[in-house]
Amino acid sequence: MKLKDIRQNIDLIDSKILKLLNDRMEQGLLANKLKDKIEDLQREKEVLEAVRNNANTLTESKFSEELFKTILRFSKELQTKDLIITGFQGEHGAYSEEAVRSYNKNYVTIPCTTFNEVFEGVNSGIYDYGIVPVENTLGGMVGPVNELLINTELNIVGAIDMPIHHCLLMVPGTDHRDIREVYSHSQALAQCRRFLSRNKLTPVPYFDTAGAANMLAEKQPRGAACIAGKLAAELYNLEILKENIEDLNSNRTRFLLLSRHKPEEDGSKCTITFSTEHKAGTLFSVLELFASSGINLTRIESIPNEPGDYSFFLDFDGSIKDPKVIETLEKAEKQTSGFKVLGCYNEKIIEG
Amino acid sequence: MQKLKLVELTGKGKRTRIKIGDITLGEDFVVIAGPCGVESEEQTLKTAEAVKAGGGMMFRGGAFKPRTSPYDFQGLGLEGLRILEKAKHNTGLPIVTEVIDPRDVSWVCEFADILQIGARNMQNYSLLKEVGKAEKPVLLKRGMYSTLKEWLNCAEYILAEGNPDVVLCERGIRTFETYTRNTLDLSMVPAIKELTHLPIVVDPSHGTGKLSLIEKMSLAAVAAGADGLLLEVHVNPCEAKSDADQQLNPEQFASLMQKLLKLNQFIQDKIFKSSITGGDMQ
Repeated sequence: MKLKDIRQNIDLIDSKILKLLNDRMEQGLLANKLKDKIEDLQREKEVLEAVRNNANTLTESKFSEELFKTILRFSKELQTKDLIITGFQGEHGAYSEEAVRSYNKNYVTIPCTTFNEVFEGVNSGIYDYGIVPVENTLGGMVGPVNELLINTELNIVGAIDMPIHHCLLMVPGTDHRDIREVYSHSQALAQCRRFLSRNKLTPVPYFDTAGAANMLAEKQPRGAACIAGKLAAELYNLEILKENIEDLNSNRTRFLLLSRHKPEEDGSKCTITFSTEHKAGTLFSVLELFASSGINLTRIESIPNEPGDYSFFLDFDGSIKDPKVIETLEKAEKQTSGFKVLGCYNEKIIEG
Repeated sequence: MQKLKLVELTGKGKRTRIKIGDITLGEDFVVIAGPCGVESEEQTLKTAEAVKAGGGMMFRGGAFKPRTSPYDFQGLGLEGLRILEKAKHNTGLPIVTEVIDPRDVSWVCEFADILQIGARNMQNYSLLKEVGKAEKPVLLKRGMYSTLKEWLNCAEYILAEGNPDVVLCERGIRTFETYTRNTLDLSMVPAIKELTHLPIVVDPSHGTGKLSLIEKMSLAAVAAGADGLLLEVHVNPCEAKSDADQQLNPEQFASLMQKLLKLNQFIQDKIFKSSITGGDMQ
């Protein structure tokens, strides 16, 4: 083993320590949402006690205790800052996280395993906001998210329409000629199918794009690369072999920002949901109301509740304060069941 | 010539045209310019801006360099390709870059608009077969010891694999003359035109290896009927890691471009038109 190899190991360990510290700070911020006040001396005592008793051969308890006192101090400092916390599905580096950052780079992003966790986290007040993808130009509707939206009490307070540019990422220093397998979410693999076949690369499905990047960085499997976003390359110290490898550059995803509260200011776009009677022409007569008022519909989606029973989503251009919109919605409500305005919000369109 | 089934000019006289962006090789007069090697991002991007400003139509630069000595600068590899991609993004100029390893062909295709096969690799048959399967045009340089027949057979290899878009490039051959780096064989331009349907460009930078001779030989190549030129341009030639003696600086390039375009226009207007109308050159 050479000094260079040892130093490479040290660099890898350092980056893992930093990632874990970041995770710990995140948990501190979440705990703060449920505590009465930031400082909890009893809890601090417990933490330091556990650290003292957990001493490894080289990390003596005196050292560990000092280190954790510093960690606790910084964690408390962060908690005083009233940071705005947004939950997203996926691991750090996911496209949802990129969407949050492009919406407001000061929002703190916390990863969740499932979409349901995002909704529940916002509902319970642990997260100030949640972000979820609703539709992709190539992949279509994100089914599970739309199902959750029908039954949610949360409000849509913003939308982000963002281009999705996939990158081929590899462990720095890998010889591109050795790459045989490419890990990523099956959607991302499908969107880069022609690129993969041109370069004779085997797609290997993984649960998440950023998760694949994390795995690649940690396990460094031989002859492997992954498809993920630029943010993932940055977070996991991976080298971007090639940018924009998607087969079509019209690849875009629309995300919704959810909150327990209504938006402070009204926007120019609305989302409603409703069900209609299972009878000829019922949906048509609702849509006709919008047509005759000259309101432009931007999305219609149907979600099956049970056989023969559908919920519909309608997105349209307009403000909830506009008399024309108010009148149309009043009429629509009378003709439908389960009618709900999910939100009137502004949509941020990111070019590129 | 025998057995040149695919490159030969047939009785119908149909010539190969290769469309790259707004440019059609074989129809438009095309100047491909840029540094010998991609040495750094700054050098490459600055040179690309200079090529664009000077009127160049495509940008060249080597990321994989076949060098005489294994101890010479071998190129930046993949990093070089990413820099070229950036140069294209900044200037809009299509990219011409050399590929030297059959394993790199698909990767270079992801970044380049034209694959260059260098003189040293002209008869690297496994490489020729690989670029013959690629979906990008190939610029095939003449080997420094190769006859016309050998050269055309190499083009035939590429066409035989299914890639019809081949551009030939005369870059000088080894003779007993030592004053110039190579002897630029301009007779190849009309010879290629009468034998084949492929476009031909001329590289006076390697063809002479001498800065002072490049301008005159470039003009001579245009007069000989070349479809374009390949010129080495460096934002700061004295600092170049390779071919320092034959790279034009941006001012020299811009001045040469003016002359080339004028001469080409003159030839198109006065000589070719007159040969159809009966001639007003007397």
